Amino acid sequence: MPPAIETTDLVKEYGDLRALQELSLTVEEGEFFGLLGPNGAGKTTFINTLVGLVRKTGGEARVFGHDVEDDYRQARDAIGLAPQEFNVDRFFPIREVLMHKAGYHGIPEDEAGERADEVLKRVGIYDKRNERFDWLSGGMKRRLLLARALVTEPDLLILDEPTAGVDVQLRHDLWELVTELNEEGTTVLLTTHYIEEAERLCDRVAIMNEGRKVTVATPDDLKTRGTDTISVRLEDAPSVTPSVGGYAHEATLEGDRFEVRVDDGGSTAPQLLNDLEAAGHEIADLEITRTSLEEIFVDLTRQDDRTTTRSDAPTNEESAGDEGAETPAREQEGLA
Amino acid sequence: MLSVGFRALFQRELLRFVRRPKNTFMPPAITNVLYFAVFGIILGGRIDEPVAGIGYILFLVPGLVVLGTISNAFENASFSIFHGRWNEYIHETLTSPLSYVEMVVAYVGASAVRGLIVGVIIAVIGRLFVPISIENGLFLVATMVVIAALFAGFGIIGGLVARDFDDLTVMNQFILRPLVFFGAVFYSLTMLPSTWQTVSLLNPMVYMVDSVRYGLLGYSDMLEIAPAAYAEFAPYASLGVLTLLTIGVIAVDVYLFKIGYGLTD
Repeated sequence: MPPAIETTDLVKEYGDLRALQELSLTVEEGEFFGLLGPNGAGKTTFINTLVGLVRKTGGEARVFGHDVEDDYRQARDAIGLAPQEFNVDRFFPIREVLMHKAGYHGIPEDEAGERADEVLKRVGIYDKRNERFDWLSGGMKRRLLLARALVTEPDLLILDEPTAGVDVQLRHDLWELVTELNEEGTTVLLTTHYIEEAERLCDRVAIMNEGRKVTVATPDDLKTRGTDTISVRLEDAPSVTPSVGGYAHEATLEGDRFEVRVDDGGSTAPQLLNDLEAAGHEIADLEITRTSLEEIFVDLTRQDDRTTTRSDAPTNEESAGDEGAETPAREQEGLA
Repeated sequence: MLSVGFRALFQRELLRFVRRPKNTFMPPAITNVLYFAVFGIILGGRIDEPVAGIGYILFLVPGLVVLGTISNAFENASFSIFHGRWNEYIHETLTSPLSYVEMVVAYVGASAVRGLIVGVIIAVIGRLFVPISIENGLFLVATMVVIAALFAGFGIIGGLVARDFDDLTVMNQFILRPLVFFGAVFYSLTMLPSTWQTVSLLNPMVYMVDSVRYGLLGYSDMLEIAPAAYAEFAPYASLGVLTLLTIGVIAVDVYLFKIGYGLTD
């Protein structure tokens, strides 16, 4: 089976602005894949290239092996998209909106009606089926976008920031639903600003910045790329920072609190304690803090020190993403 | 062509205007009652037959039918496309597996249907004021279908190039309407001095109005003013040219959809 999404050197230019810069990305069938990046990173441009709302400038993009321009009908038929914007037909009750969408995908009217009812029940707004979109609350609108993406029973579900601005209950409902769908075999591509969401849901994540892929990894792998902090409280408050081994990237002392930044806190802590005791310090307590995915994300997408951070843990994907990393930052706000 | 997807979009487009008769069918109905009453009865009563054997009200009917048909076909297509772009719900169509030809034909077809319905409504209103018998039925139907599709096709272009709703008004009021009013709706070309007759022949609306008049009343200005050797075929030549033009405009629509003009980033 070809990958659900496969792009090679995908480029999108808006005049002088390059919104996607030689982006090569593969999402395997059945994966739950996250796309993370700050505003303007090119996440939505990437998605829109797949569904036909953006025409690429260069490179290739395939959905289940179908070229998004040459075989656009097959590619689009495979995709269900829940976008960020409320781009829903205002003229018809929502049940009919869903039936129309199903119809465009070749589903006969009777079946389209059944599917519309089914997805409205699934997202919990069946009792609003005869209302028009404008009369729904914000949360219901978000649910409808998901229902519309599901009504065609897509093999690839694309969710563009589905939980932006929704309450906790809805966020959890959405998480539960998309997890179920993924377990049933649907490939899911999720863009999000919420690191917790990616960590909780995704098999792999790609971090994007300025139209480039910074890295692709599992959330756990990403976390191992960060450093841990070992915080030790000393019985005495030394006047100078204790000297420790080369395993420490950074060591700071504030009163009786001694903090050391290391690659792996668990395996380094005994060595650190030995070194401190050998130097005559008495340990009162010790705490190890793992770097949060959020901190790693910020590190990876921070323009000024990004190359340094990434060079700590190079991968094949990174090498591709690094091309031209020194290019000055361009304003891309609003293109996503 | 008649795939499930095409039928779904075509039906959606039909339902959009059918469910809003107050916005779509009532305005042209009321306007045309006024036209017939004021131009036909009040003023028309003081105007001699513009053409021998055809009273002024009867003479007006084909022109008003054309005016209503093409302006509604244009308005429907341009509004549907532009409103969909404005609120971005045209993405529902654009992200679907419909071919670009299916998308365009569905939009054009439904808008042409609206134009034709309005044309029939106007003819029925005209019938309330004056007896009408159809002289060349097949020719009339063919011409009406072609001009409705032509202006629906233009409407698609209008909806794609418009940047705001004012642009749509400008197109309708400043381009379409003047051409129609100088398109021999309210007068016969035979009433004009020969210079203005010639100038009028540059106006494409003249051929549409004249063809519909020929279909409905059996009278064509072209039969009167075209060179003798050509006159006999004049209405058919008009229909032929209009048909080619319609195919050309729809091809442009499909091309614009394909490149995503006004539709994609």
